[in-house]
Amino acid sequence: MNARETAWRLFAGELNSSSASVKGNEEMSPTYVVTRLGAMVNRVMVAGVLTEKENIGSEDEPLWRGRVQDVGGSFFINVGKFQPEAASAIAELEVPVFVAIVGKVKTYTADDGRVFVSVRPETIVQVQEDVRRQWILSAARSLWDRLIRMKKAIAVNSTSEKDLTAAGFAPEEAKGIDLALNRYGMPDSSPYVKTIQDALRMLLPGSVIDFGFPEDVGGSPDEIDMDSEQSSADRQDMEDTILRIITELDTDGRGAPRDEIERRAEAEGISATELEEISDTLMDNGMVYEPDLKRLKRIDY
Amino acid sequence: MNEQELTPHFEELKRVLKDKVDDERIMNELKKYVNEFHVTPQAAVRGILRKFGALEESPFRSSSSLVKKIGELTGSEASVDLLVRAIFVEKKDITVKGSPKTIISGLIGDETGTASFTVWEGKNVEMEKGSVYWLRSAYAKMWNEKVQINIGARGGVEKAEGMRVDVPDRSISMESSEAKIGEITGSMGNVTVTGRIISAEERNVTVKGEPKTVYSGMIADDTGKIQYSAWNDFGLKEGETVRIKNAYIRSWKGIPQLNMGDRCEVSRVDDTFGNDIADTVNTKKIGDIVRTGGGLDIKVVGTVVDMRRGSGLIERCPECNRSIINGECQAHGRVEPVMDLRMKLTLDDGTGAISAIINRELTEKLTGVTLGMAEGLAKARGSMEPVERELARTMLIRRLSLTGNVMSDDYGPMMIVRAADVVKEDVTAEAEKLLREVEASL
Repeated sequence: MNARETAWRLFAGELNSSSASVKGNEEMSPTYVVTRLGAMVNRVMVAGVLTEKENIGSEDEPLWRGRVQDVGGSFFINVGKFQPEAASAIAELEVPVFVAIVGKVKTYTADDGRVFVSVRPETIVQVQEDVRRQWILSAARSLWDRLIRMKKAIAVNSTSEKDLTAAGFAPEEAKGIDLALNRYGMPDSSPYVKTIQDALRMLLPGSVIDFGFPEDVGGSPDEIDMDSEQSSADRQDMEDTILRIITELDTDGRGAPRDEIERRAEAEGISATELEEISDTLMDNGMVYEPDLKRLKRIDY
Repeated sequence: MNEQELTPHFEELKRVLKDKVDDERIMNELKKYVNEFHVTPQAAVRGILRKFGALEESPFRSSSSLVKKIGELTGSEASVDLLVRAIFVEKKDITVKGSPKTIISGLIGDETGTASFTVWEGKNVEMEKGSVYWLRSAYAKMWNEKVQINIGARGGVEKAEGMRVDVPDRSISMESSEAKIGEITGSMGNVTVTGRIISAEERNVTVKGEPKTVYSGMIADDTGKIQYSAWNDFGLKEGETVRIKNAYIRSWKGIPQLNMGDRCEVSRVDDTFGNDIADTVNTKKIGDIVRTGGGLDIKVVGTVVDMRRGSGLIERCPECNRSIINGECQAHGRVEPVMDLRMKLTLDDGTGAISAIINRELTEKLTGVTLGMAEGLAKARGSMEPVERELARTMLIRRLSLTGNVMSDDYGPMMIVRAADVVKEDVTAEAEKLLREVEASL
C-alpha cells in the first residue's frame, strides 16, 4: 500500500540523536529514520519558533537553511527551489516567528561518520502561539507513549519482531523497536523524561513540576555544520543536470525519452541507479512527471 | 531390479506418499532412480521422498531451500520450497518504478493452511486454480499478521504433475474466531460476533434472472458497528441482541461487511451492552483506520497537513455532476458547467494520515469563503488558482474533527466528510492529565 506517511510529532532531541535509517520492505517504500525509541519517521509535523534563517543560495535559486526551536532543541531545516511554496513562504517570514512545518526527514552522513538529521519542509506557515502549545502537548504525549511502549518491549525480553507482535505490538511498532534496540541498545530514559518535564513546565507555567533531575541532564544534539553538506550539494547539482537534460531532449513537447536521458546522464557521470533516485525525487517534488512509461517531462510553473 | 524386488521400497514410499502421488508415478520414479541412475534403493527412497516434499530432515540446510508446509512458516524464511494447490489465481499488470511488470497473485493452500502469494516475475508463468505446484525458493513475509509467500527472480513455479494436495475446507475459510466489531478487518475470514441489531430491512433483488430477497442491516457492539447481509431469513429484528456464528467478512472499498452464509448460525443472547452500544459515531485514531481499512460513521481529529490538487473552485457537468475541465465532460461532451467549491484535504493525527473530501457547504462553513466569493475572486484575478491558495491559507495546520464514511484503496483511507468542525483542545487540562500520568509512574 502507498498510504501517505504519517507526520510524526516528536521533539528535536529524539529526532536529531537518531543515526539509523531503514528502507521499507516493498519496492517503492520510502526511507525512515529510526529513533532510539523505535519511531520510524519519514515525515514530521513541527510547530515552534523559527529562530534563524539564511539564504545560502541566490535570489533566483534560493537555498534556505533555518532552525526551528521546540522546547529545548532545534530542528534544522533546508528549503530549496524544489519546494517553491515553502521557499517563498520562508523568504517572507521575519524571525523570530511561530511557524508550523510539515516536511520530510533527511539524513546526511559526514566524513567522520556522524549522522545529521534535517527536515525538508513541504509546507511552512506562520501560526499563533496556541498551535505551538497544542503541538508541544502532542509531542510530549507521543514521547511518553513511546517510552511506555519501549519499557513494555524490554520486558518482553526478546527484541524479535515476531515475539513483540505476539505480545500485542503493532507490526510497524515492533519493527521500529526491534531496529532501535539492535542499533542503539537499551535507551536511557532520563533525557526524554527531562524533555517531557520541560514541555510540561512550558505548558503549565503556574505549577511546580519536578521529576527530580539535575538541571543539566541530557546533552543537546550535535549541530549541523552549515557548510559541510557536500554530498547534498552534489546531489543538487545532479538534479539540475537531469532537469537540463530533460529540457534539452524534449524536442517535440511530448517529454524526453528515458533511454536517451539515461545515455546522456551516463555521459555526465550519473549512473543509472542515481538517475532513478533523482528522477523519483524530481517526481516527488513535482518537478517532472511521466506522460507515459517511456518518457519524463518537466512541469512548468 | 524388477518390480518384485522393488516392492518393499515401493511399499515404504507408498506409506508416506499415498495421499499425494499415484502408485504408478511412485513405481516409475523408483525404477528411474534404481534402474536408470543405478542408485541404491535406500538413496532412491530418500531422493523420491525429498522430491515430493515428504522428507523431514534436511541434509543441506544451508545452501538449498527447505521444504516446508504453510502452517510451519514464520514469515521470515528467505528460501523455502512449498508444495501447494492454487485456490485462487489472478494475473495483473502493474507499474513498478515506471516499468510495466506482470505479477501473479492469489491464494494457495496445503494440508496445514492457506496463504496469499505473489509471483513477482509472472510474465512467463502460467498458474491455474485447482492445480498443484511446487513453489521453489520462495520467501515469506509477515503482512497484517499473516504470512505472505513471494516468488522473486531467484524463485520459480513448477507444475507438480500427478501430485495431490488436500486443502481442508476449514483452512480456506479459516477458523471462526470471536471478534469485536470495531476490530474487524477486511482480511479476516470467518468470525463470530455478538451485538445488537440496530436496523433490519428486506430488499427484493434479481440475481441472474431469479428474484431473491436480501436481508440486511446494521449490527453494533460496544466497539463499533458493521453492515450485515444474508440470503436466508434469520428473522433478525431491530433491538434484539444476537450471537452470529460463522459469518464471513468481505470488504467493499475497504469497508468490511458481515456476510451470513449457509454455514452461519444465529442465537438470541442476553444483552450485556446496556447503553454502551457504539451505534452512533466511532472516534478513531487514523493509524487504526489505516490498519483496518474503512468503516461507517467514523470520526477523526487531526491537523490539516496538506491541501491537494482539485481543491477550490471546480466545474461540474450539469448532466452527471462529474468534475470537468474547461467545460468538457468525458461523458456528455461540451456542456455549460455548473460551478462548485470543494476541498481535498489530508488530515494527520500523528498516528496516520487520511484524505478527506469536503463538499461546498462544509467548505464554506470551515473557511468562510462562499461559492460566490470564490467566483468573484477567480473572475477578478482571471484564474481559479487564487481560490485554492486562499482556501489553503485558511485551512493548513488547522485542527479539525471530521465525520463520515471511510473507504480504502492502495493510497490509504479516504473519508467522504459529512460533518466538519474546527476543534480546539484544552491544552492546559490535557497537560495536567499527562503530568499526573507521568508522576504516577515515576
